[in-house]
Amino acid sequence: MMLIIGVLGRQVLTKDWLETGFLALLPASEQQPEIAKAIQQHNELLNRKVLWLTGAASSKEAIGHARRLKQQLEQSKLFNSIVLEMPQQKMAKQYQQLFPYRYQLLDTQTQLTLSNYPKDLLAQNLETLYSPMAQMMAADLEHDPLLLFSRYFNAQNPIKLTLEQGIVILHDADKYWALLLTDLEDTHLQLDKLETLLALVKSTTTQVQTAGGELMVTGMPLFTAQGSDSAKQEISTVGIGSSAGIIILLMLTFRSVRPLLLSFLAIGSGLFAALVVSVLVFGKIHIITLVFGASLIGVADDYALHFVCDSFAAKNWQPRQSLRYIFPGLLIGLLTNLLSYAGLVFSPFPGLQEVALFSAIGLLFAWLTVVLLFPLLLTGFKPDHKPVILKVANYWQQHWPVWLLKNRRWVCPLVVLFIAGGLWQLTPRDDVRLLQSAPAELLKTADKIKQLLPVSQENQFFLVSGHNLDDWHQNEQQLLEHLKVLTQQHKLMAYQGLSDYWTDQHSQQQNYQLLDKTLYQSGLLKQYMTELGFSKKAINSELKQFNDAKNKSIALPEWLATADESKQNLWLGCDSTHCLSLVSLIGITDLSALSSLQNLQGVAWVDQVEQLSSLFARYRIRVSLLLIAAYLLVFTGFGLKFGWRNALTIISIPIIATLVSLAMMGWFDQLFSLFNLFALLLVLGIGVDDAIFFFMAYNSEQSNTIDADGEAKRASTSLAVTLSALTTLLAFGLLAVSSTEIVHAFGFTVAAGIFTALACSPLVGHRVNPQDNRKV
Amino acid sequence: MIATTTPTFLRALLLFVLSFGQSYADDVLASIAARLVKTPMTQGQFQQEKRLKILRKPLLSTGTFTYHQSKGVIWKTLTPVSSLLLVNDSHLITAQGEQAVPPAFGSVFKALLGGELNRLTEGFSITGKDQKTAWQLQLIPKDALLKKVISTIQLTGDTELRQLELQEVNGNLTQISFTQISHPDHLSSEQQADFERLSP
Repeated sequence: MMLIIGVLGRQVLTKDWLETGFLALLPASEQQPEIAKAIQQHNELLNRKVLWLTGAASSKEAIGHARRLKQQLEQSKLFNSIVLEMPQQKMAKQYQQLFPYRYQLLDTQTQLTLSNYPKDLLAQNLETLYSPMAQMMAADLEHDPLLLFSRYFNAQNPIKLTLEQGIVILHDADKYWALLLTDLEDTHLQLDKLETLLALVKSTTTQVQTAGGELMVTGMPLFTAQGSDSAKQEISTVGIGSSAGIIILLMLTFRSVRPLLLSFLAIGSGLFAALVVSVLVFGKIHIITLVFGASLIGVADDYALHFVCDSFAAKNWQPRQSLRYIFPGLLIGLLTNLLSYAGLVFSPFPGLQEVALFSAIGLLFAWLTVVLLFPLLLTGFKPDHKPVILKVANYWQQHWPVWLLKNRRWVCPLVVLFIAGGLWQLTPRDDVRLLQSAPAELLKTADKIKQLLPVSQENQFFLVSGHNLDDWHQNEQQLLEHLKVLTQQHKLMAYQGLSDYWTDQHSQQQNYQLLDKTLYQSGLLKQYMTELGFSKKAINSELKQFNDAKNKSIALPEWLATADESKQNLWLGCDSTHCLSLVSLIGITDLSALSSLQNLQGVAWVDQVEQLSSLFARYRIRVSLLLIAAYLLVFTGFGLKFGWRNALTIISIPIIATLVSLAMMGWFDQLFSLFNLFALLLVLGIGVDDAIFFFMAYNSEQSNTIDADGEAKRASTSLAVTLSALTTLLAFGLLAVSSTEIVHAFGFTVAAGIFTALACSPLVGHRVNPQDNRKV
Repeated sequence: MIATTTPTFLRALLLFVLSFGQSYADDVLASIAARLVKTPMTQGQFQQEKRLKILRKPLLSTGTFTYHQSKGVIWKTLTPVSSLLLVNDSHLITAQGEQAVPPAFGSVFKALLGGELNRLTEGFSITGKDQKTAWQLQLIPKDALLKKVISTIQLTGDTELRQLELQEVNGNLTQISFTQISHPDHLSSEQQADFERLSP
């Protein structure tokens, strides 16, 4: 078996198998495929963009830093586009391509002016021409006397940026900043690339600083990189921590390397098999899976410990005999654990499905190793000492329940009060943003950049549809009119919708006719041009050009071909039944005002954050039910096998552990979301494990007439339970130190649950009086 | 996503692209600078005459201007149409709202009006004559791209800047004369309000 896994492993793990992208963790959208597609297209740009700003006391210095930075970024080969100077040629080309359609492509403001007060347009032109800036504003007066196209061209860029040497320059109170835009080569962010990116950010920051400047960097890839970087550190902390804990514990207990090596064999084969199978099934595994997987060490170790600890229970200990005794316990333990992981498989999150499969396979193989190999490998193993921890554990398992029972008058109400109080304070928080806890510094930089350069698109957007191009155009225009009002009310800073830049054939004709009626037929144009001092020839030439352009129109595909990437990305295309586009938003200050626009014809509001958060909330409820179902299932299984009364005793341990764990979250104001519930599934598995072994020990007492043996079994069981609880606490407790909020919550929940299970499990099968064979 | 202010954008781009070379201060420049009245505020009236090649008559306009060293420039055209232009290093507001600032305009226009000759040396090679009654300076852009648009800027003055003449490569010519120049101590409330709009 291991051989097969080994061979598979050689094939599988040579590929690129580690996934670090944050989005891979999230469930595939539950929505219609078109929204999923829109989200994907919307995110695609964001997921590759990295934004760099070099700052200095003067714009000249800032540009100098930016130019040096650009060279370094080019050398890194990480990016497929690095833009410092704005692509002038491309824009010039766009200007040329669209200029012939200047009478058809009017921006909305010009349209409005023309339909209401056509003379205002001419007055505005005069203002422009007489201003000291005329050179810049009206340089194409000769070919475009009404400055129609300059209006259209300017309206395409809702946010005005200042250029210097072709470079975007921003400035705040005391610094000038030069902007550099980069696109990562790969949308699918690979770990080594992200590491290179982080290293690059670090080294360039130092270099710019030594040169006297300042560097700010932001972008989705950076957040992902930081996330996987800290996750990686956490894996090694958790891994090393729990390994060290286990080594110390086992060496102290057994004074022999054999149990230690065997434990590692069980854990190792479990982890390896888990890795191989997961990669086989999912193609790649996510780094978060590995973080959770590292904690598996604690659970997998349970089986090995129960086996090895049993050696303290008999004077003449034989591993094969021992297996016969502990096998039912091990099997039930495995089944409950697998059952609790099976719950995760039904979660909608690919990440958690991975965790479930990874853990289930890991446990199964660790278990198989224990059951199949340990009897052989433990031959001749017999510790002849009584380790301190055995004495302590035994003393504790004998006296702790006694104390508990003696003081139950006040302990019980106190526990009930604690649980009730904690549950009362427990408030679920499902905000998806809590998933990604970026370092404060990164967030601060991102915030500062957003203030300087408010061009970054929001996560939210509108999806506009229509059953044909005209219908779509009409629907989007209706939406954009509302958005315009919102920008005037400062509820939104800017928006981008294609229909403001490209109008359908029909509207293009209308624009032409509007111009014809208001300025050309009416003679206003002629008057305007004459008064300005244009020659007769120039006037006639303009009239002729206008006439010649009468039947011109530009189709959407041609228009899109001239547009830049951010505009092209707004278009989702037409199929036989409908046409779709995105309307992107910048600087939202009133979310509810925007989301209320979804009632408009053909408009859908897409708020990924909100949608995921509500998804989390729904699944939190679903998993709660799942958890209850799992308890009922386990309870029924036990009831059928051991009788209902015993089943109740056993199941009460994980139930109390779960309740206390929930209460702790409430008292300590911990993040309570879907993920804590998954942790509670683990608490169920481990709590049942603890209870079942104490129950088995009790059973063996019952069936065994030699009392001393039963006592020894209880002693060795309490040792195994204690050791396994300690190792599990080490492994999961360490997760609680994680800076990733959900990992921390997971660790905290499990730690609280395990500790409670450890504290309560000796009550199972405890005899109040050794002479009296009554259990509690 | 990046905006430009201009219809003919290529031209505008050329204007924006001002590369600042090393600073160069002439003796003439130093002596002229010494003659100029230096106060944080200058105001006065202007007469502007634009001769565009395609138009058969000049565009004449008059109005008032206010220069403030730290706040920027108010350029108020009164005839033939009234309009207001506000500009500093980072903002440009016209009747049509906030515009992108071409640095060749934002900083140079202000430096010209305020006689900040040292700042002008960054972008232009300057030659000049310092005579008893008046001085004259010729500014030639250093940047190759800007050279394709502006051939020369000529400044004439005494203790004040009296005339500015901008000769474009395509033959267009802009002449601005300044009269009734004064240096008040503080801004009027109207000027205050205008500058307030510029840097809220």
